[in-house]
Amino acid sequence: MTVPFLQVENLTKDFGGLRAVEDVSFTIDRNEVVGLIGPNGAGKTTLIRLLMNILKPTAGKVILKGEDITGQKTAKIVNKGMASTFQVVKPFRHLPVAANVMVACLSPKTKRKGEWVKTVELRALDALEFCGIADLALEPASVLSHGDLKRLELARAIATEPELLLLDEPFGGLSPAETTLVAGSLRRLHKGGRFGRLHSEGPAMLIVEHKLSELMKIVDRVIVINFGKVIAIDVPGNVVKNKDVIEAYIGKGGK
Amino acid sequence: MWFRKSVLVIPGRVIALMFGITLLLFPLLTADEATLRIVTFAAIFSLYAVSWDTLTGYTGQLSLGHALFFGVAAYASALLDLHLELSVWLTIPIGSCVGAFIGLIVGLPALRLRGIYLGLVTLAFPIILSGIIFYFSDFTGGEAGLYGLSRLAEDKITAYYIVIAIVMCSIFIMFKFTDAKSRILRTGLLLRAIREDEMTARASGIDTIKYKLLAFAMSGFFAGIAGGLYAHYIRVAGPSTLELTFSIQVVLWAIFGGMGTIYGPVAGVFILYPLTEIIRFYPYGEEVRFILLSLILILSLLFMPEGITVWVRDKIEQECTRCKVINAATRRTCRACRAPMYLTKEENANQGKE
Repeated sequence: MTVPFLQVENLTKDFGGLRAVEDVSFTIDRNEVVGLIGPNGAGKTTLIRLLMNILKPTAGKVILKGEDITGQKTAKIVNKGMASTFQVVKPFRHLPVAANVMVACLSPKTKRKGEWVKTVELRALDALEFCGIADLALEPASVLSHGDLKRLELARAIATEPELLLLDEPFGGLSPAETTLVAGSLRRLHKGGRFGRLHSEGPAMLIVEHKLSELMKIVDRVIVINFGKVIAIDVPGNVVKNKDVIEAYIGKGGK
Repeated sequence: MWFRKSVLVIPGRVIALMFGITLLLFPLLTADEATLRIVTFAAIFSLYAVSWDTLTGYTGQLSLGHALFFGVAAYASALLDLHLELSVWLTIPIGSCVGAFIGLIVGLPALRLRGIYLGLVTLAFPIILSGIIFYFSDFTGGEAGLYGLSRLAEDKITAYYIVIAIVMCSIFIMFKFTDAKSRILRTGLLLRAIREDEMTARASGIDTIKYKLLAFAMSGFFAGIAGGLYAHYIRVAGPSTLELTFSIQVVLWAIFGGMGTIYGPVAGVFILYPLTEIIRFYPYGEEVRFILLSLILILSLLFMPEGITVWVRDKIEQECTRCKVINAATRRTCRACRAPMYLTKEENANQGKE
């Protein structure tokens, strides 16, 4: 039996009396793009934060490449090949955009000793180029618009050269044109290869998103959660017909 | 060529260079021992202020008990000097290593605490230590402190040069250590990133714990050098080096000069410290000096909230809007990319017409 790339087993999180994530189990394969959807407050962001150990899970296990990474430091998890973006953007506001990405290029995973030419700056620029904001590289991050910050967040995540990318609402607050652009970038990223000096492993992705029409075009599989429980895991075509999913979104009696 | 291209074109660097040369030539300008003493103290305190700035200004770990590192190193050097009779060249480095070690210990709570809570914890450390010192007064000299330490050098001028050389080298190392633009040492960038947003730094795969502890150790080490120099210069290591006012004073100096810049605290010390010492010589000086000092601080914070050096820097330097290279404020075109730095009134008017 092959070991799944990411395996989540009975993950549970309690906030006091509230059980935000309950008994969630799923797997992600190496070459998969998986969507994670659910109504507001379903626990999607909490789930991502649990995977990255920004929040400590109450119970359950996260297993990456056959290794139990539950409770390990966030930085260590990133260096094992799992990166995430935040829903609420958190750039280093007073640093230039390029420096924001350079920090990710300096992590032990991506720092390569003995390079002939110092390429930290160049790799950061390539990550920005890939997300389409290379022209803003020298501006401080505080002057960027929300859409650009979202893309900066993506650039920072892919600069860590992840094998599994957790994206928390990558299209949140983006204009339709920007959405198409970013969706295109994600598809290209998933194919893998080299973008200038930046190496892409062709990461598996877990995408949390509310813009379903865009999401359904990218993903292979969709996980639907409601009140912290998984209610459906299926291909996009079947998920939109699933009774439980329709009930969770528009209530009983919906068609 | 390098000198002309990267130092002489930037007014701030010219001022720093001139300041350094003045310090080196200072004993030639005056033979007055009291003046020399004030400048020596200012140099020692500027190293102390810079070490605070590395920790709080750059890394964002608020330290309100920075006298701890200064005092610990002063006492460590004094004990080594008096009991083991080691030479000055051993006691000061060992004392600073003790400071760095204490920095690591104080850094441990910083892994869990942030902001003002960390400030409160660091505030408590020197108070605890001075309690210990008073309790073991046979060993530590208690209220009077340890006195009769060996001199840095026999005459004042040699001592002055020793202090200036060590302080200048240390400040240069700190400057390189915290320089976010450096291409060789990346610690400056990472420390900045930790100050801006620790969570994002962790999500970028940076082990923030390691770098925070490194900042604490570096800060403790260089504050320790300052402490050791101070103890050997005045030949006493007393409980006054651990006092609360001494911890707060470094905060005032650094904020007055400009936090998060290495030159800021240096300027802050070299302006405020001689001022408070000179006022002392005038009638009623002793009583008035703290009122005057507070007045200067309040006014400077009102009109120069980012510190005096930042205020001056913004007047004499400007950043090219296109390539972000620093230029003298008098230049019309950027020295790197030749883009116009600003338009004259006529050009502005013409631009509107087109």
